Amino acid sequence: MTYISPLPTRKYDLSFARWVHRHIDGGDRLAMCMQCGVCSGSCPLGTTMDNGPRKTFMMIRAGMKDEVLQSDTLWNCVSCYNCVVRCPRDVPVAYILHELATVAVREGYAQARTAETNKFVKGFTWSYKIFGRTDERLVSLFYYFQDGFASGLKKLLAFRHIALGFLKVGRLPFGMPHSLRHRRELRKILTAATKIEAQPAKGGR
Amino acid sequence: MSTSNTCVYLCSGCGIGNAVSMDGLKNVVESEFKKSCTIHDYLCGDEGLGLIRSDIVKGINQMVVAACSPRAMADRFRFNGVQVIRANLREQVVWSHPENEEDTQMMAEDNVRMAVTEAGKSTAPEPQLEGDNSEVIMVVGGGHSGLTAAYEAAKTGYDVLLVERATHLGGMARKWSKRMPTDPPYKNPQPNTVENLIESVSNDPRITVKMGCTVAKTSGMPGRFIVDFSDGSSQTVGAVVVATGWRPYDAGKLNHLGYGISSDVVTNVELEEMLTEGRIARPSDGKIPEVVVFVQCAGSRDRDHLPYCSSVCCGVSIKQALQLREAHPDVMIYIIYEELRTPGVAEEFYRTSQRAGVIFLKGKVQKIDSSLGITVQDAFLQQEVPLKGVEMVVLATGMVPNSTNIDKEAQFLDEEKLKLLNSDVNHYAPIKVAGAAAEPITLSAETLPAGESILNLQYRQGPHLPMLAHGFPDSHYICFPYETRRSGVYVAGPVRRPMDMGEAAEDATGAAMKAIQAIRAAARGIALHPRAGDLSIPHINLNPCTKCRRCTVECPFGAIDETEQGFPSVNATRCRRCGTCMGACPVRTISFTNYTVDMIGSMIKAVHIPDEMEEKPRILALVCENDAYPALDMVGIARLSFSAYVRIIPVRCLGSVNLLLVSDALSVGYDGVILMGCKPGDDYQCHFMKGSGIAQERLSKVSETLKSMALEAERVLMAEVSIADSAALPKVIQSFVKVLESVGPNPFKGF
Repeated sequence: MTYISPLPTRKYDLSFARWVHRHIDGGDRLAMCMQCGVCSGSCPLGTTMDNGPRKTFMMIRAGMKDEVLQSDTLWNCVSCYNCVVRCPRDVPVAYILHELATVAVREGYAQARTAETNKFVKGFTWSYKIFGRTDERLVSLFYYFQDGFASGLKKLLAFRHIALGFLKVGRLPFGMPHSLRHRRELRKILTAATKIEAQPAKGGR
Repeated sequence: MSTSNTCVYLCSGCGIGNAVSMDGLKNVVESEFKKSCTIHDYLCGDEGLGLIRSDIVKGINQMVVAACSPRAMADRFRFNGVQVIRANLREQVVWSHPENEEDTQMMAEDNVRMAVTEAGKSTAPEPQLEGDNSEVIMVVGGGHSGLTAAYEAAKTGYDVLLVERATHLGGMARKWSKRMPTDPPYKNPQPNTVENLIESVSNDPRITVKMGCTVAKTSGMPGRFIVDFSDGSSQTVGAVVVATGWRPYDAGKLNHLGYGISSDVVTNVELEEMLTEGRIARPSDGKIPEVVVFVQCAGSRDRDHLPYCSSVCCGVSIKQALQLREAHPDVMIYIIYEELRTPGVAEEFYRTSQRAGVIFLKGKVQKIDSSLGITVQDAFLQQEVPLKGVEMVVLATGMVPNSTNIDKEAQFLDEEKLKLLNSDVNHYAPIKVAGAAAEPITLSAETLPAGESILNLQYRQGPHLPMLAHGFPDSHYICFPYETRRSGVYVAGPVRRPMDMGEAAEDATGAAMKAIQAIRAAARGIALHPRAGDLSIPHINLNPCTKCRRCTVECPFGAIDETEQGFPSVNATRCRRCGTCMGACPVRTISFTNYTVDMIGSMIKAVHIPDEMEEKPRILALVCENDAYPALDMVGIARLSFSAYVRIIPVRCLGSVNLLLVSDALSVGYDGVILMGCKPGDDYQCHFMKGSGIAQERLSKVSETLKSMALEAERVLMAEVSIADSAALPKVIQSFVKVLESVGPNPFKGF
């Protein structure tokens, strides 16, 4: 693994917590977390997560970097922002989880490679980079066939009833995917964004 | 006794006239009692009051007002030199019972009968003023609370005598570098202002300071306490404020947290001394510590140590962490807490420390070894976590009240006094410790706290202020803070409960105000709350007295002493007029001019008991006037309904109910007796602290009396009623009526 952030060697070694504090957007608010658990309690997927946001934040503080970046909590967030709205200490919970997921990808943690959400995101990104829009048919196909033809076909068949239903009510159009008129402009924006992302952030929002 | 010229007024307003026959009531007064009677439809209005005033001019000196509850319109029906007795027709009859029914009419008539009977047996009390009163307030303890109490009392124009056992003022507060925030925005530690307070107290001409001195003996009563001091001097004072403060819990008992094992484990008080000196260095080698761990609840909320929470230690650790951070910005600070308790605005303080980068760990410290290796049972990670590289540990120890002077030997007490005192020191108060123990903690040792009594009261009930477990003085904690069970003696500051300096200042101000009230009440011969303004005094006729000493033992306020011959003697200004002595007396020789066993007995007998064939049972309700009676009023105000077979007599406290009244009631044909009063026990709500508890104890013996009368034990019930119980009261009464129905009518009816 290529570590970008420091790997703590013992419990409550704050090296990783400090890195999060400095490099993650909103990470500086993590110090204000008082472990009330409103985030995990309001999370619609809280029961399916292994740790949930509250515990994740405590684990960051406790120096449990590997456990944090391998957890499925980062990948099960559906961005409903309940936690962000409800946090009594104004911790941007969902944003921090997203950024930690990015860190997990960059540092090559296994969970990042196998997480279904990450695979879906790949299809999503592929689509908007080419067309400037997301074409649902292509995004789905990209996502289905990522792990090879056989598993793609299997997934496709599993969802055929939904597809046929869409077809019946005319919600599954044929023809070429729509694309953005000024695709070059978008590409410029994306290039700039990648550049910004590569720079280390200076904490704070 | 002057002869009473009594007039009865019946008010038909507020729906009373529509629901009951006023002529029927008038007939009761005129034919049964031969008293003059006036009906008015708006008695508390100007016209009604004018009517009453014109009668007063004609010479009446006692009146019965049958209208609303005695708790309503009390200020309208108050006339100089005239005793007013109220009959409750509105809340407890017409608002809570169906209109124009036979049972409602009977209830109203009985209420009028009881009130007119009461008038016949009662005269207005005269103030009893004896001896010279002092207006000096004595404050014991010259710490922050004591100084504040003295300063505030002097500001209102009262002379203060401040007694301090040390040779300097300031107490514990003098050791503090800074204090927790008490002013907006409540974010940062504030400068310690105790030196300014010492200066203003020392310069105040109204305040006399006695240093290096303790109280040797206190006798007398509010208004005239005679206090002897250890230096041989003596002074008469009007009221006493005890502000003896606290001491830290003995950390020597905390070996499992490394205290005494490693010199780098210090208590929060020791760290505070370092901060005051401005030299933060760990004791072993004088190095500035880089990693500091605060251990909260060190010896607190712990079965084996202090079972209670001292409430300030969390704030103190936050304050000290911020101060350490300010002095050395690189120092790493961990605070290991079980529950972080930052009440009120201290939450802002907590946030400041989080922002400053203090790390908070929730968990319980299992062990701290000699090399400062800490094992924490981490509550969030749910695993045992070792912490290494720690350079200093601070134990946040709790507060122990200075309810005795531990520097001196306890006074000798004979066995009887010791027994009496131990029954007051409540070691069985259950204290629930959140997160530490599933079962409430009960302490088994029946001993007083070590050390000499602070006031050494020369009371029949012993030298101490009655205490709860752990030495906090007993008082009605919610309704009457600062209060003790010795009238005219008030406690303030951490000796009352653990608190910080801001709270202690408020506490001290409150206690000073109560002391002033006590002095003023003593000068006018009136009672302190809850019967504030009452002039009546228990009168003991010594001829029938058998020297059984129940009154001197049971008085919740130690108001009754014993003469050398063993007769009871009442100390008027100590008395709170609850009547517990009256309830205790087996020969009914204790009475007030307006409240006697005979009076209540006659009221009980004034009620008409229908015979068995009519199938209208009668239930006597003796109701505590503090909480249960207003709760019954609220039943009517909410237009709920309860059984019309109940006849309600308010009593000063259930403690004033003499058991002879219960057997009297049953022997004249009542089917059952229900006593409604406040919750007794360790978490009592009784306004006279012990009254309802004593009533409960007495009632536990009533079944023998019932047995001798060949009656069923179910006929007598004591119900705990709090002020908020009005919605449940009708059900309580209804279920008692059902029980009595199943038991059957009282065989004594018609005798």
